[in-house]
Amino acid sequence: MSDMAVIAAAPTKRRLLPYLVSRRITGTVLNGWVMFGYLFLLAPLVVLAGASFDGAEAYALVNFPPENLTLKWFFDIPSRYYESIGVSILLAATTAFLSVLFGVPAAFGLVRAVIPGRPLISAIFRSPLQIPSVVIGISFLHLYYAAGATIGVNPAGSFAGLVIGHLFHSMPYVTGTTVAVLQRFDGTLEEAAISLGANRWRTFRRVTLPVILPGVYTGALYSFMVSFGDIPISIFLTTPHFTTFPVEVFLDMDQGLEPPMLAASTLVIVFSLVVMLLVQRVVGLEQILRSAGARS
Amino acid sequence: MTARWHYFLVPSLVVTLLLLLASQFVFIKGSFYQDLGLGRIGDELIADNYIRFFTDPFYLRSLWLTIKVSLLATVCTLLLGYPIAYVIARTGTRLAMLMMAAIVISSFMSIVIKVFGLMIIFSSNGWINQALLGLGLIDRPFSVIGNISGVVVGLIHFCLGFAVLLLYSVIQTIPRSLEDAAQIHGASRARVFWRVVFPLSLPGVIVGSLTLFNLNMGAFTSAALLGGGRIFTLPVLIQKTVILDVKYSMAGTIAAVLLVTVVLINLASIFLLRRLRATKWVIT
Repeated sequence: MSDMAVIAAAPTKRRLLPYLVSRRITGTVLNGWVMFGYLFLLAPLVVLAGASFDGAEAYALVNFPPENLTLKWFFDIPSRYYESIGVSILLAATTAFLSVLFGVPAAFGLVRAVIPGRPLISAIFRSPLQIPSVVIGISFLHLYYAAGATIGVNPAGSFAGLVIGHLFHSMPYVTGTTVAVLQRFDGTLEEAAISLGANRWRTFRRVTLPVILPGVYTGALYSFMVSFGDIPISIFLTTPHFTTFPVEVFLDMDQGLEPPMLAASTLVIVFSLVVMLLVQRVVGLEQILRSAGARS
Repeated sequence: MTARWHYFLVPSLVVTLLLLLASQFVFIKGSFYQDLGLGRIGDELIADNYIRFFTDPFYLRSLWLTIKVSLLATVCTLLLGYPIAYVIARTGTRLAMLMMAAIVISSFMSIVIKVFGLMIIFSSNGWINQALLGLGLIDRPFSVIGNISGVVVGLIHFCLGFAVLLLYSVIQTIPRSLEDAAQIHGASRARVFWRVVFPLSLPGVIVGSLTLFNLNMGAFTSAALLGGGRIFTLPVLIQKTVILDVKYSMAGTIAAVLLVTVVLINLASIFLLRRLRATKWVIT
């Protein structure tokens, strides 16, 4: 409510001034707490990026704010970091693509099929979200070894093995967001298109698809980002020679924090920001937000 | 239009069910074998691993620690996340858009990067510790590594962004007119919140915090990095058992206990929520 409306609505029983003062205090406390939340959330990213430009001589020492600015750490990034960033991007993109390929038809089936046991089917689709991700990691490792022992194909440590594990974990995001938009979709629009002479494919492409696309994009973005940042699953399914960026950094952090790691992480932060900007350009963040929390 | 929509379910249902059943069956079965060292396992089904888990105080303490840390992190995340979600849901301007964008961006950053940043912030020569030392508030640098508070801070970082997205979608469904009505009738802002907004959001908050709790129980990165080899939650223990001890069966056992614990806690909460609804403690 606007302040004027509040003054107009202020209780006549009480005096106006204490009322407005208490209102202002509540507001200040709330805003302060929210600002603290943001500081808490964003400070590590800012500090990390800032520290990667620090030119201090001591190698094991990282500083924020940076003392003398330098770009030298960016030239010191070892090539294995670039390789693992490449693996991570390829893995996340493949996972997102396959999640859409499997998740979107599943969402159509869930919303539109007339079948018994729909709650059970939907629970099965959601089940990977209930399993702690570290359990997914170890159970797929067991599964791959069992596959190696029985059919002679052990996908552990291969790209395919990683993709399968990530797909299992990521598909529910796409299914969830697509179900959310489909449930709000007005079916009479399709009937109208059909009755006006459009065939099924044309109806889907020109009527249904534009409406559900934001939900699909949102799910794909989630699945991309979840897969891109994952450690608990990847760590069991990668090898020292073939690994994703988060796992590589995770394992290196045991040996201490070194400036080239900071620089590589800063590049990844920039990459994620670019992805978000692209999403904002192509889809618009409002669309993402509208279907954001709709998964649960 | 009567299309055969149920055919659309088949491919993904087959993939999900196959992976779900196969992986869970294989690893639970695997947890009943004996580790022979160097990653080899016996071929007899025995319950030794489970007996070891439930008789060794080390494992039991780790189980309790995991639950405690996850609970603590979930509560702190709600305390931080709820006001943010509330403000975003009720601001409704470009500012809210910007605040939401910041949440989305931060929740999409890999936790390993955030933990990295935390370590720099709280490093002994970092400016927070220097300032606190300078002011004489502490006599030795505060560290986030190797203690429970550090792990909790890491876990909050891990799920705060996600929590805000969840809570935002809950609060958004509460009609704003209800709050206006309460204010017009003379309720203060705090009173409006506790008597109108909070009760209405409670079911969503409970379900949401369950999701957060599950996330925390499976979270591994923050606990492993910030635990500094001293805090062993179950996920950290699983990784250590696989990578350092190369005992796949024992790791399977720990994972199975973790999974069953999570499932049981979820079922118990859902049961409790039903009871609360039945007694009209919670409005649906």
